[in-house]
Amino acid sequence: MTIALSNVTKIYGSQTVAVRGVNLEIQDGEFFTLLGPSGCGKTTTLRMIAGLEAVTSGTIALRGRDVTDVPARDRDVAMVFQSYALYPHMTVRDNLGLNLQVRKLPRKEIAERIEGVARMLQLDGLLERKPGQLSGGQRQRVALGRALIRRPNVFLMDEPLSNLDLKLREETRTELKKLHESLGITTIYVTHDQSEALVLSDRIGIMKDGELLQVGGPHEVYARPADVFVARFIGSPSINILSGRIRPNGSDFVVEVPGPSEGAGGLERRLNSAAGITRSSLSNGQVSVGVRPEDLIIYGDPAPGRLRAQVEFVQPMGATSFAVLHVPGGERTVHDREHLMATIGPEETFGRDAAVWLDIRGDRYSLFDPESGKAIAKD
Amino acid sequence: MIAGALTAGLVLLWLFPIYWIFLTSFKTPLLINEKTPVFWFTPTLENYRHLFREFRFAHVLQNSLIITVTTTLVVIVLALLAAYALGRMDVPGGKNIALWMLSLRFMPPIAIVLPFFIAWQRTGLIDTYPGLILIYIAFNLPFAIWLLRGFLVEVPRDLDEAATLDGLRHIAILRRIILPVIAPGVAVTAIFTFMFTWNEYLMALVLTSRNASTVPVTVSKFIQAYSILWGDVGAAATIELLPVLVVVFLLQRHIMRGITLGAVK
Repeated sequence: MTIALSNVTKIYGSQTVAVRGVNLEIQDGEFFTLLGPSGCGKTTTLRMIAGLEAVTSGTIALRGRDVTDVPARDRDVAMVFQSYALYPHMTVRDNLGLNLQVRKLPRKEIAERIEGVARMLQLDGLLERKPGQLSGGQRQRVALGRALIRRPNVFLMDEPLSNLDLKLREETRTELKKLHESLGITTIYVTHDQSEALVLSDRIGIMKDGELLQVGGPHEVYARPADVFVARFIGSPSINILSGRIRPNGSDFVVEVPGPSEGAGGLERRLNSAAGITRSSLSNGQVSVGVRPEDLIIYGDPAPGRLRAQVEFVQPMGATSFAVLHVPGGERTVHDREHLMATIGPEETFGRDAAVWLDIRGDRYSLFDPESGKAIAKD
Repeated sequence: MIAGALTAGLVLLWLFPIYWIFLTSFKTPLLINEKTPVFWFTPTLENYRHLFREFRFAHVLQNSLIITVTTTLVVIVLALLAAYALGRMDVPGGKNIALWMLSLRFMPPIAIVLPFFIAWQRTGLIDTYPGLILIYIAFNLPFAIWLLRGFLVEVPRDLDEAATLDGLRHIAILRRIILPVIAPGVAVTAIFTFMFTWNEYLMALVLTSRNASTVPVTVSKFIQAYSILWGDVGAAATIELLPVLVVVFLLQRHIMRGITLGAVK
């Protein structure tokens, strides 16, 4: 493996824990993203890998070599900063070439590599300019080029796209992915934008309050979140969380989301093999049920096992629309949020306050312990 | 309109004495003592000749230049290093050190000039270049460090970190990244140091006599028992202005940027 973090902890001052016991292995050539809200410790983790921040405890290894105490300049990592951090007094050419110059590469090779990177990133005509004379997108490409030109072991990126406007950000995102496909340099990418993480990454690590909650491929973290926080953080609009309970049913268990009042009808699912569930783990039987908007089906007529709701309004998004739903008397049903969201076809319409009945698509739901937020395995 | 007129008036008010001393330096004693001011006359270089012959002004000018330039260079180098350490490294009590150094600037020079006189006499530093330069460095350094630190902390730390990852060490980061970026601030600091040293009177008066005497001290000698040598005063003042004008002119491109550097990100 290329990068291994074991038990890495960062404590500022005497007790501010920024990163707590992170264990992580990143493979050769992988595009790995650290995802989380601001202050979750993702940037600190990246900076510790770069050597810009000392670890409080734990070790970091690059290519099997323990670099925990190796200074940043000797780690052979290249980093793209959120602010780009281009040297304002140097031309683009010198910005790109500084590292090669410091490493005393032959003049000719430096010039060739600069030309090569400039061509790849379409900076050809800009080499004699200074950063102040470039547009935001061009600066971003210079920052990228400064890292690329080194052909480093590891490529670190700290929110490199956050200063671009939306359209440019999406274009650059695609460029980054192409670049990674063709060069295959191990990349660790930090972002708070879940869609960026899903699009770019081979694997994603989601962090919260300094802890790594889950590591997995984009589909895995979306479909099988290990934690209710992960479930909510990934996906837009975010997942619906319903209050339910689990009760034994012979040798099996049944999950049900009760309706607003007894006998008013609710959702019900039989759990075939209850891998993670034992009778003792069901202290009071309460459970949170997570359902993605696209897995919440809307019916126009009632049937047993369907939950009654009202359409508040419809949000058209182009290719699809979202129905914003309200469960009358739903304090019992809808977890700490008033509305439910369901994906509907772009041409479907509903009258205001139209009565509808909801069901879950097959077994496309997740269960969470309402106390700890941890996922409960259901298959 | 009113603002323009007011500015013009103020500038004239400030410039007139300089203009007058400049005129005086080219007048004969007779013209200088005219009751009604004379603006048009045939200029003479007699005052300048007298100045260089009677007061060894070339020697004094050389003293002033050597002492001022050396002081400025040493102060800038030391202040840059100190400002970098205070602004970028975890110096224990760094904040307090910075404030404490600034407070040194509040000390009235007259309070320490006599102890220095005695100490310099005993160590043989009296009336030497190093004697005066040492004191000027000590006097200018705190303010210079304070100023440069202010400019330096405006430079985003990301730049240092990018340079670290590019393989540069502290001194190289300071020289190749920080210094060019804060060049305007360095120019401003250099001008302040240069002007303070060039104009300093009290220390030079007490701590020098024949060898290391400076321009301001020499000018004070023109006030003699029975007369004031106005012509020499004019000539000396005109010459004394020149280096300051040259320095400010050379660095002015940077000053305007330097003065506003901290204000606009």
